[in-house]
Amino acid sequence: MCQAAAAGGSSDWRGRRVSTFDGQLPFGPLTGYPQFRESPGTVSIRTLVDMTTPDSPSLSRRTLLGSLPVFGLFALAACSSPSTSTPTATASTTPAPSSAAASASATASATGSTTAAGTVAQLAQSFQATLGTDLQSQLLQDYSLANAKLWSNLPQALLSGGMGGGPGGGGGSGPRIGLNLADLNESQLSAFNTLLAAATGSAKGLGYDEVQQHLNADEYLGANGGGNDYGRSGYYIAFLGSPADTGTWEFQFGGHHLAVANTYKNGVLAGATPSFRGIEPNSAFDYNGTTNQPMAAKEAAFAALLAGLTTDQQATAKLSKTYSDLLLGPGQDWAFPTTKEGLQVSKLSSEQKKLVLAAIAGYANDIADDDAATILRRYENELDGTYVAYSGTTALTQQNDYIRIDGPSVWIEFSMQRGIVLSGNHPHSLWRDRNTDYGGTKD
Amino acid sequence: MQATVPKARAARKPRAAVVRCLLTVLLVLAGSFATGAAPASAHVLPTSIVQLDVREDVIEARVNLPLDDLESATGIDLGDQTSETVKAHAVEITSYLLAHFAPTSDTGQAWAVTVGELSVTEAGSAATTGIYKELQTTFTLTPPAGSNARSFNLGYDIIVNQVVTHVVLVSVGSDWSGGVVTGAYQLGTIRLDTASGVVSSLHVDLGQGSNTSGFLSMVALGIHHIQDGTDHQLFLLTLLVPAPLLAVRRRWSGPAPVKRAVRRITGITLAFTVGHSLTLALATLGFPVTAAPIEALIAVSILIAAVHAIRPLFAGKEVLVAGFFGLIHGLAFSETLRELNLTGTQLGLSLLGFNLGIEAMQLFVVAVVLPPLVLLARAGIYRRLREGAALLAAVAAAGWLAARLGFPNVVASAADNLGGASMLIVGVLWVAAIVLFLGQRRRVGESTTSERALMALRQ
Repeated sequence: MCQAAAAGGSSDWRGRRVSTFDGQLPFGPLTGYPQFRESPGTVSIRTLVDMTTPDSPSLSRRTLLGSLPVFGLFALAACSSPSTSTPTATASTTPAPSSAAASASATASATGSTTAAGTVAQLAQSFQATLGTDLQSQLLQDYSLANAKLWSNLPQALLSGGMGGGPGGGGGSGPRIGLNLADLNESQLSAFNTLLAAATGSAKGLGYDEVQQHLNADEYLGANGGGNDYGRSGYYIAFLGSPADTGTWEFQFGGHHLAVANTYKNGVLAGATPSFRGIEPNSAFDYNGTTNQPMAAKEAAFAALLAGLTTDQQATAKLSKTYSDLLLGPGQDWAFPTTKEGLQVSKLSSEQKKLVLAAIAGYANDIADDDAATILRRYENELDGTYVAYSGTTALTQQNDYIRIDGPSVWIEFSMQRGIVLSGNHPHSLWRDRNTDYGGTKD
Repeated sequence: MQATVPKARAARKPRAAVVRCLLTVLLVLAGSFATGAAPASAHVLPTSIVQLDVREDVIEARVNLPLDDLESATGIDLGDQTSETVKAHAVEITSYLLAHFAPTSDTGQAWAVTVGELSVTEAGSAATTGIYKELQTTFTLTPPAGSNARSFNLGYDIIVNQVVTHVVLVSVGSDWSGGVVTGAYQLGTIRLDTASGVVSSLHVDLGQGSNTSGFLSMVALGIHHIQDGTDHQLFLLTLLVPAPLLAVRRRWSGPAPVKRAVRRITGITLAFTVGHSLTLALATLGFPVTAAPIEALIAVSILIAAVHAIRPLFAGKEVLVAGFFGLIHGLAFSETLRELNLTGTQLGLSLLGFNLGIEAMQLFVVAVVLPPLVLLARAGIYRRLREGAALLAAVAAAGWLAARLGFPNVVASAADNLGGASMLIVGVLWVAAIVLFLGQRRRVGESTTSERALMALRQ
């Protein structure tokens, strides 16, 4: 169960040296929230944030783990360091990105384009090259805001059937476009996974790892009462525009409770949002012999942030209104509140600020490691103008529990809702950016 | 922020309404018109639904509120969310509801609001929202004297005042004087404007209303009713199939003289009209009717008409039979009218308009189907045609009868869809009749032996 991390830590699979799992993990899947609370978690989170910066001292993960036993409590160590491995840790489920990477690097040279090797654009071209003309024509879509807006929290069947979502709790602009994940054969899927791993990053419990657990969750949901509208066949891949080192294109991947939206301009990530993550079931579940809990890392970071506030600070952060869902869900584009509510981060201690940054990292690390570092630096610089607000309880486990991080750029919302197919509560969450949503495309 | 109704509706003028209604009538008569309004958009997070029924003096607002969100908004713990628990908290709930539903006229005067009984129903679907409970009640909104009751601020923020992610869908269920008798339309949504943090207030503009548009919409409804009511059409047509024939010794024989046939057809149609008009009026004005036996009797009436079309059962007394069964069909028509809960002038005009619509469509059907029948009656194939049609009607009637007695079956559902093929059938009848007519003319020109047919035509 640890091969993914092991491979990530040692390989150079994108054709250049990148920060690997060792330096990237904000935190792994947790064994449980209480352990988090008991630990002096701020130390480790500070470290984690630092480590997301590529040019930070190359602290090896092993050194850190040796010097900070606190990590054991996070159960992070389970997959990255044999010496501290804890059997209770929830597991990653993913096929090793390295195996897919091998084939990708083989096709990279074959593409022979001007695209730099190992970039997301080049991996996208490699994936495209594995497809026949039919699948390619489904994959390739026009770059437009209208197409970029075709994401949703809803299962595809509810968007394209007679139940097109309206405003508010669900829906969006229409059914997703693109190529169905379930239509890929083994080698095509392998090339896609290589691309996805490069676009979503290697942070344990986040990014690529989380997406794989997410797909397991939807399969699980389908098999446990959800029926055919759930599972991998409800996920779609689209390239809006042509992947290249010049021009604008978006890598879109999404399905039930998931939206990946990376916009690239001239080979540079211009926006990684709107990025939606929700999950049902929210508690740990077994799937094909692995234990999954896709959103555990994000939730733990939010809860730690609220738990780290004093009673007075919590009172300031508490919103008077009730939130049964996200404020800026699908379809609510460029509609950010003009006034920020809650507790201003500038009033927090440096330890508390680290908790805020760690919660933000839970989303920023859903993209390529070096891109995540760049974005996190921007958000860190804007931290003093950022606000934290919540509604409901600070545990964020009850229906209508809600937290928001609203900064000059960053916008992250998390909302706990009742179960739909299963009985336990389930969360929706969304990362937007006031400036770079859709890569800044507003019309 | 003010949400307004769609422009097309807001800008509606009486003349436009008349034109539109007449256009509708024409379209319906042409038979190329499909009924049914688009359903309100489905939603994944439970939403509140407010449906306005615009009555003569008041507006009734039927409201469905998800109980989870109502609890969050009021802070009232409804525990198991049963009817009993809700009723136990009726006073608190009612006072919250009334505090957050306060329509005002455009000049700022408050409308009077009362709230009816609170009940609990289950809503949602397992696949989308999950199954959840909602509170159902009806508000009665009375405009202040002298104010424009068709343009006002809804003043509604139940639940959204607190649960800011909640969405309220507002629609018009019926608005007689606005010409809306079936087919609800969406008026707007009430929700938080995320940028400003303000909950939008909904301004309702129902456009101009008039008795004319109400009356015309009832005419259109009557037309639709016959158009969609395959059973009514089938009864009348089946009764008319043997009308151009002479009954001789309990068998249908040669064609009756055209004048006599036309007189008989007119008589049957008129008698049916008188019969159903009488009971439609009586039942609409309060005569008690039970729907199920009426529907079954209608199937029986078609069955009898079908048998009569094969072997004369009541030759010469068709007018009486048509009148009698007209009484029964009228009781069925009244169902539609009573569902609209109309009163006073609106009821009177509706009765007239609806009946006229039924009549217009009936006459249209007769006018389209009868001429080819009269022509074909002179041909040798008429016997087979008549018996085939009657048999088909009998089978359909039997299917309906079984379905209406509680045994749903494929025959009944197929018969319900007969209407879709009606234009095709009429087309075939006309083509056959014209071919036959032209053929006879040529033969007459060549002085063949078909003079009897020609003579009959000239009578």
